[in-house]
Amino acid sequence: MRAALTPERYVPAGTLLFLLVLPFLLPNPFYVHIVVMMFTFVILGGAWNILSGYAGQLSLGHAAFFGTGAYVSMLLVNHYGTSPWITLWIGGFAALLLSLPVGFICFRLQGPYFTIATIGLAETLRLLVLHFREITNGAQGLTVPFKGNSPWQMQFDSKLPYYYIALVLAIAVLWITRCMEGVRLGHYLVAIGQNQEAAEALGINSAQAKRRALALSAFLTGVGGVFYAQYTYVIHPDSAFGLGHSIQIAMVAIMGGVGTVLGPALGAIIMEFFIQSTQIVFAGQYPGLELMVYGGLLVAVILWRPRGVFPWFDRLYRGLIARLPSPGRAA
Amino acid sequence: MTDNVVLTVEGLSKHFGGVQAVRDLSFQVRAGEILGVIGPNGSGKTTMFHLITGFHRPDHGTVTFLGLDITGLPSHEVCARGLCRTFQVARPFPDITVHRNVLMGALLRHPDPAEAALRAGQVIRRVGLEAHTETPAGSLTTIDQRRLEVARALATEPKLVLLDETMAGLNATEVGEAIKLIATLRDQGLTVVVVEHVMRAVMSLSDRIVVLDQGTKIAEGKPQEIAEDPRVIQAYLGKEYRRA
Repeated sequence: MRAALTPERYVPAGTLLFLLVLPFLLPNPFYVHIVVMMFTFVILGGAWNILSGYAGQLSLGHAAFFGTGAYVSMLLVNHYGTSPWITLWIGGFAALLLSLPVGFICFRLQGPYFTIATIGLAETLRLLVLHFREITNGAQGLTVPFKGNSPWQMQFDSKLPYYYIALVLAIAVLWITRCMEGVRLGHYLVAIGQNQEAAEALGINSAQAKRRALALSAFLTGVGGVFYAQYTYVIHPDSAFGLGHSIQIAMVAIMGGVGTVLGPALGAIIMEFFIQSTQIVFAGQYPGLELMVYGGLLVAVILWRPRGVFPWFDRLYRGLIARLPSPGRAA
Repeated sequence: MTDNVVLTVEGLSKHFGGVQAVRDLSFQVRAGEILGVIGPNGSGKTTMFHLITGFHRPDHGTVTFLGLDITGLPSHEVCARGLCRTFQVARPFPDITVHRNVLMGALLRHPDPAEAALRAGQVIRRVGLEAHTETPAGSLTTIDQRRLEVARALATEPKLVLLDETMAGLNATEVGEAIKLIATLRDQGLTVVVVEHVMRAVMSLSDRIVVLDQGTKIAEGKPQEIAEDPRVIQAYLGKEYRRA
């Protein structure tokens, strides 16, 4: 029996194929870098989406998990020569551990407490990292010394390996989100996001469901932090734990469409595209301009597309699927 | 006598600031019956539901369900033990379909979403919502939102359901439909407590009635006894009801 060649199958497969050959089509490594950054934000936005998107629990401190992953990895790599392939897991688990007390304390309460606590957490970590200079090198941040092409140390001369690592991680996050949608926890998060009291009345332990989602979200964000640190070789208290970074992570998912698998991917593409193109167009003539564009974009999305671009993309995609031929389906 | 008791409420009290919402309230619910709870607005009916189902913690008193003390348990645990309630103002999950709304309840006993989806479909047919399976719950009419409240509660497969003013705002035909639905539930072996203002419904459905006034139980008995009780008539029913 031969599987039918339907558009539902060959469009995603074609997209994947395209992503696999994409770096060879791009004119220079700078463009590869942009795509790697997009993938990084797919990872981060996708991880954020699991709790904040599905269950409607707004986190504005995901940089705490990102920075924890990044710093833990950097310290292990620099002091013990641990392979980043291993610190990828350790950094993720460190972020997960950090999330446990937050979930335990905040999810007994409703309302904005969780949001405020996440902001406070990231800010506290930022100040701690600035304070313990002997370990963290304070405001100067940490760097990984480049050792030449060394796959075990996740160091490469070319951007290509990073591209594929980021691609795998990004797909993994989206795949995990999709799996979560299909199990009870995924449904429960949606119910909680819709009306927590009604969910409780139906026997849903909302605090437990949110704690689990937060742990998963923190883990994946931590993994994203480790990758980012290894990819850029440098990490600062501000770039790791800053509020701006937390907001950017949230924005990726909000712009793309919260509570959907592909929303953060769309958001990451749009946002990275805008940030890079404003930087290119204005080439540093007006410092901070890209932030204004980015702020304007944010306002526009919230005003006109509060559910992100996903519904629009979804219609387009379904229309495309419906019109494409499906050779295998012919009777 | 006591072996077929499902729910025992004993000495339940709750105050909010200076207002004594429920005062030393005691009653029992027996297996397979429909217990009606009536009383003027503000007499503590909804507060009583909140206290029983863990949405508020009582100041004093105990709630015993199927022989176990459930006083002050979180509401999701109360539901998991088989005591489910609906809300006076319907609280649907507005952006998702009717089917998925009910699925959320069914997942409690059937963690596998495929199995839960089948159960949800059955419950939806049971309450007569099958025409709206794929409708977003937020765009349902009032009566259908009430049906959905009941469906979600039933999907958790409770032994006892507390229905909080399921019929408020319904027209005469709809009240008739709602009465039929609740009667069917009892016939299927469910124990039901209804808080209602619609006297026609309470009188025809209830096996027994508890009357609250200012947080206290002022009468308890069969519908006919209640309709003739002078204290009840004075506090709630009014003289017209006696003549009627």
